[in-house]
This record gives sequence, C-alpha cells and structure tokens, in this order.
Amino acid sequence: MNRNTLQGKVLPSLLGGTSRHPLPEDLIPPSGSCPDGSLAVLSLMGQALRFERPPTPESFVIEPEIIDSRKILANRLRRPLIRLLTAKYATDHPARALARAFDRLRMRPHPFDLPSIDGFVRSYAEKLGPTAQHWAARQKSETGPRSYFDAELVDESNWSQAAVSRRVAFLEQRRRDDVDAARALVESTWVQEDADVRFRLLQVFQTNLSMADEPFLASLEKDRAPRVRGLAVRFLARLGASSTNPALAACLERISEHQSGLIRKRTTLKLELPANVKDQAAPPWVLQTFSGVSLGELATAFKLEEEELIEAATKDELLLLALALMATNDRRLDLLEAVVSNLPNAWERLFEAGLDTLGAMTEPERQRWEEILLHPYGKELPAIYPLWDWLHRITDVEAPPAVMRMILDANLLTNVPEQESGKAFWFDVVAAICPASQRQELRARLTQFDSSLTVAPLALLEILDGMENDRTDA
Amino acid sequence: MAGLDDLDLWLSDQVRHGMASFVAQNAQACRTISQRLVDAKAPALAGRLDSLPTRLFTLPGPARPLAAIRELGQVHLISQAYRRASELPEPLAADARQAVGWSVTRDALLSDPDALRVSGEWRVFAVLSEVQPDRLRRVETWLWRQSSGDGMPTCAVLIDFVPLATGAATGGYLVGDHIHAELSFYRSAIPLRALVAQLKGGAEPSDEPLPLPNEALGVSYAHYERALGQLPWLRAIPLTFRSAGVRRTGEQLHLYDHEGGLSLPLDASQVNQALPLASLDRIDGIGLWNGYEFTLAWAETRLGRWLCS
Repeated sequence: MNRNTLQGKVLPSLLGGTSRHPLPEDLIPPSGSCPDGSLAVLSLMGQALRFERPPTPESFVIEPEIIDSRKILANRLRRPLIRLLTAKYATDHPARALARAFDRLRMRPHPFDLPSIDGFVRSYAEKLGPTAQHWAARQKSETGPRSYFDAELVDESNWSQAAVSRRVAFLEQRRRDDVDAARALVESTWVQEDADVRFRLLQVFQTNLSMADEPFLASLEKDRAPRVRGLAVRFLARLGASSTNPALAACLERISEHQSGLIRKRTTLKLELPANVKDQAAPPWVLQTFSGVSLGELATAFKLEEEELIEAATKDELLLLALALMATNDRRLDLLEAVVSNLPNAWERLFEAGLDTLGAMTEPERQRWEEILLHPYGKELPAIYPLWDWLHRITDVEAPPAVMRMILDANLLTNVPEQESGKAFWFDVVAAICPASQRQELRARLTQFDSSLTVAPLALLEILDGMENDRTDA
Repeated sequence: MAGLDDLDLWLSDQVRHGMASFVAQNAQACRTISQRLVDAKAPALAGRLDSLPTRLFTLPGPARPLAAIRELGQVHLISQAYRRASELPEPLAADARQAVGWSVTRDALLSDPDALRVSGEWRVFAVLSEVQPDRLRRVETWLWRQSSGDGMPTCAVLIDFVPLATGAATGGYLVGDHIHAELSFYRSAIPLRALVAQLKGGAEPSDEPLPLPNEALGVSYAHYERALGQLPWLRAIPLTFRSAGVRRTGEQLHLYDHEGGLSLPLDASQVNQALPLASLDRIDGIGLWNGYEFTLAWAETRLGRWLCS
C-alpha cells in the first residue's frame, strides 16, 4: 500500500467513518485482535501522516527593515529592568523615569525583551526608539503608519509620517530656526491631519508668533474642530488681528475693576464666580473659563501691563489662579513666578483646577515651572501623594536639583501621613524624579526603611545609573 | 489484557464513526476509555488518551481530524507492540511497556548493569513544565552533551514530577547550567529519558554557546524521521539548526530552513515571545519537535542569545 493509495482510498473512510465509507476490502490486512483489520489501517495511515513533512507556506510576511541606531540596553540590566517593569502593584512612575532615560540617552530595550515588557513598550513607544515603535504598532490597523523614526531622523521629507510628539518637537525647533518654513510645513499637510494633531501642531505657533502667521490663522476660523478654531482666534487676538476672542469676552464679564489708594490710584481686579459655582468647583471653572485667553490679552483689555495685571489681582486668589494658568499656557515663566509670589499654594490650586498638560513646554521649561511652584513651600512640602503623582505626570521630567534638595531636606519620605507610611507609591515617585546627582543621597535615605519596601526604588536607581554609565562609556 | 481488548473495541467504534465525528465529541469518549485503562493498570496509555482532547484542541480546526488519526493510530500501535513485546527487540519492547504504563523505579534503573550510561559535560538547554490532571507538575529538563561523535546520545531529558502545592516550577536546574554528570538512560530504541546516576560537581551557570552540530534544520529533521522509524510513537525530540530563520504568516511563526526549504510551525504559545526573531536573518539553535509544533528553546543570534522563558 503506497502513500497515494492511503491518501486516496483510506483517508476518506477514516475521516468520514467506515460505517458510511467502508474501507476497500483488498486493503484490509487480517488482524487477530480486530476482525475487520481497520485498526491496522488506522495505524498505518497515522504513521504515514507522521512521516509527511509540514507544508511550507507559499509566502512569508516580509518584515519591515527598521533602522534603529540607538544603543541596546546592556545584558546585565535586562533582567532587573524586566523585573521592575513587571512587578505587581508597581506604579507607573518608575516606567516613566525609565522611558525618559531611554529617550535622553538614546538607548533602547533589547528587542528580545519587548514581549516581556509589552505594556511598557506600548505606553512609551515614542521614547524607546523605532524598533519599540514598530513593536507597539504591530497590532494596529493595516492603514496605520508604516514608518518609525527616531527624533534625529525626522526631517521635512518624512515629518508627516512620524509620531505626533516627534512632529511637535521638530516643528518647535523649526519655529525657532525659520518660522516661515515651519508654517509652510504645517500648511502642506494641514488638510490631512485629524483634529487632535491639528490642535497640537497649532499650539506650537505660540513660539515666535508673528503677523506673518495671520493669514494662516485667519483661515482656521472656519476649522471643523472648535478647539482649533478657539486657539486660532486666541492667537489672532494676541496679534491684534481680531478683537473678537469670545473667551476673552466671557472672562471680562466675570472680572470687576476697582480703583483704590488715596494718593496713588491703583487698579484692583476681582473675579466674580457664577452663582452656581461653589468652593471646590471654582478651580475647574477657572481652568475652563480662562484656558482660551492669554495673559497679554487680558492685560490689554484692562489697559495694564502684564506685571500690573498681576499686581491688580493680588487680593483675589482665584484670579491669581487664573493668571497662573494663563502664564503656564503662554509659557511665560517670568510671569508665573510673579503670580506664585502672591499665590504660594499655586501648586495645589493648579492641581485642584485639573490642569492636565503643559502644552509645548520644553524640558527645561517644565523643570523651571516645577521649581517655581515648589519654591514657596521650602521645607514645608505637602505630604499629599496625589499632588506629587500629578506633578510627575504633568511635567514628565526629573526634578531640578533644587527641588530634590527640598525633598531631601524636608524628609518627605518620613513625613508622609501615618496611613501611607511605607507605601510603595511614595518611594516610587521620589526615586523616579530624583536627578542623577542626588541618587547617592537618596539611596542613603532609603536604607532607613524596611528593605522589602525599597527594592523597586533601589532597582530603578541602579538601572538609571547603569544606563548613564554605559552611555558615558560608549 | 482485558483493558487492551476494550481499547480495540473502542478504537474500532471511533473508526466506524469517523475521525471528523471523533474530533467533535471526543472529551467524554476519551475520559471513559482512559478510566477503563487506569483500572486495567495501563496508566500511561490512559494518560495519553485522557490528554488527547486537549492536545487536539490546541491545533487549528482543519488539522484536528488528521491529528486524531495519527494519535489513535499510535495508541493502537502501542497496544499491539505491548501484546507482541516478546517478538520485538528489547529496547523497543521496553518502550512499549513504558508507553502502556510500566514504571522503572530509580533504584531499578541505577542498579541495572545493562542500562546505557553516558558520562560527560551537559548543558541545560530547556526547562519545560506542564501541569498534569493529577495535580502534579511534570518538569522536563533537557540536556545537551558538550562532546559528541562517540555514538552515544548527545541529548537527554530528566523528568521530575513535583506536587503543585510546592509551587516549584523547575527541576532544580536552570537554562544554561553546566553539569558534569553520568546519566543513566531508560531502555529505549531512542534513548532520551535519563536519570543523573552520578553528579561530578554542582551545576554552574554558564554563558558559553552550545556546541551545536554544523547541520541545517533539514538534516536534523532527517534524524527525526529515522528516529520515528525506530520508535513509531516517539513524542518530542530535540532538533538543532544552523542558519535558519523565523518567518511569519499572519499570526503563525515558522522556523524556516533556507537551504532545504523545510518549515516547521512554532508552538502557538511562543508567537509573542519569538516574534522579535522574525526580523533577524540567520539564527542557530535548538528546540523540540513533537510532530506538530516546534518549541524553540535556544537561539544564538547577532543580537545575542534568545531563550525560551
């Protein structure tokens, strides 16, 4: 009995059942234990199938060639990294710090580790290099982007295919170098962008905003997305090209102006909340109401200089909060500093307002912003975890050394509320924001605590040190 | 054996109804006959049938009826070989007895003067574990011998059974460990399963590459086919390869031999972990082939070593 006979005559009977498709009589060998001999045929067929080689697919998927010049994480750091990122009950602060380090040091996880740290890769792909981006995007739709770039590889020819954050960073730089070329670049792809991307690209126009941008901004007054329209109107108002910023009008309705002082008249401004906005709802209302207005616009509306506007608002905490929000949105850290000198708890107030982005602020700007907000607290830093959690999320930077000094001097980790004492999240967030220069000191502080609590933060510090040393050695 | 007679009747019933029907409603049928075989003191054969529905379920739907023919055909072969053990060469007869459920104790094996003993430097290239229905974890520690060419087995597997309650998932050795030991092999036409007869030093972790033969996957596969001829119910066997590639078709990965065009589907549970290998050109390594899927265990690549975890 050869293979063709088995395939053609025996297999159909075994599949369909010999009761309906009897085996050909001439193929059935006599068998002592099984009168009809069908079991011998079953074994023979089974063995013939075992000798069939697996079919080779007609074609295989051609994997895209990923150009990734980043240095791969050293072998000795791979296992600690996986352990840290896959630990139970871990917060995302260590992951955030590691992603920043990969980005800053132009390093990448080992490709073989990507499956083990899949969640981390998906969350921070843009910071982990092209290979990780490809990994994270592999389950997205077939129409998704097919190109993955590292920051240094983005240029005007491939700009539209890069990740949004990379595009924003590239555009930011182009706005500084050549504002006309940057605007032309945006215009070239504008109609193909979705609303979120349009909004994020338009935010960058804040850098070197000038009258040359006016025609493009004016064309956006009919944009499909309300927030894009609103931002364009705000920029136009700032340029003086439009006097109809509806957000400004809404703000002005809520601010009353008074004159005080006997010899030297001073303007005093007061914010009047709507009757239905009470206490805890006030900060979010301020954020919602003032996010579409620039500090310069508001000052102009009251015929004041920006510094005078702050001076006029010193007696109204909510109005100062509004000014802090506007200074943040405008990236006017000089003005934010002036506001915070009158509103020392601005950090807490901004948190209560629900501020969730620092827009296009650069890393040094975000560090400076953090330093300004925390400076008034001195050694009296609030041991309120949600505040620190929010601060790290919104800035996504290492703390400036001055801030870390405050944390260490204030013994923050030992002054946490009793019910949170020894909780991993405190160690996670402090280790994640600690700059390289103060890691040694933080390590020494961590030795005061039960070693079971400090495994993860110490591992994070070790990995970060290891990555930096490897990069320096390279 | 009454149990084997019952098995014949049961197999005949399945053949009469057809494998397409068997695949659709095999769980209860397999459970019933495996219980009967346990009663008849054929626990290994019972285990093979009891786990058959699960094994079939892991395969793609269209492949299941053919796999059922292969598996039930082997069961019949084992049953026949056991009945006619006296007519078989001793190693194959021992395989038949073992496949039915005869056990050889550790002491019996170690005191057997005719048992094959191989002394050498061994490397652990895979540690696989599987939970069994009897609440035991079966841990397989696969070893590769550093020196070869003397006609003795170059690989071996130590099998341990660990109670689930202990939480242990390994047999004490880790992948990469280097062991200097004498192994005693259970009698078999294809000696693979062994015990450590004498340990000549503790296990040492090692980063050295495995001394794999300079053979392409196709050559290694031919060894498998020869082994299958010697032991028809052979299960997993190590296959080495040089300059192979991992290639993808949809969600399925294959180990592809550039020279011979042979393509072995990778174990479905490895798709995610082995996917990074798909972007590499040529890799060397070793894994386990069970006739359906290849479990990649160890690969040397230009990006370093990839290990099954």
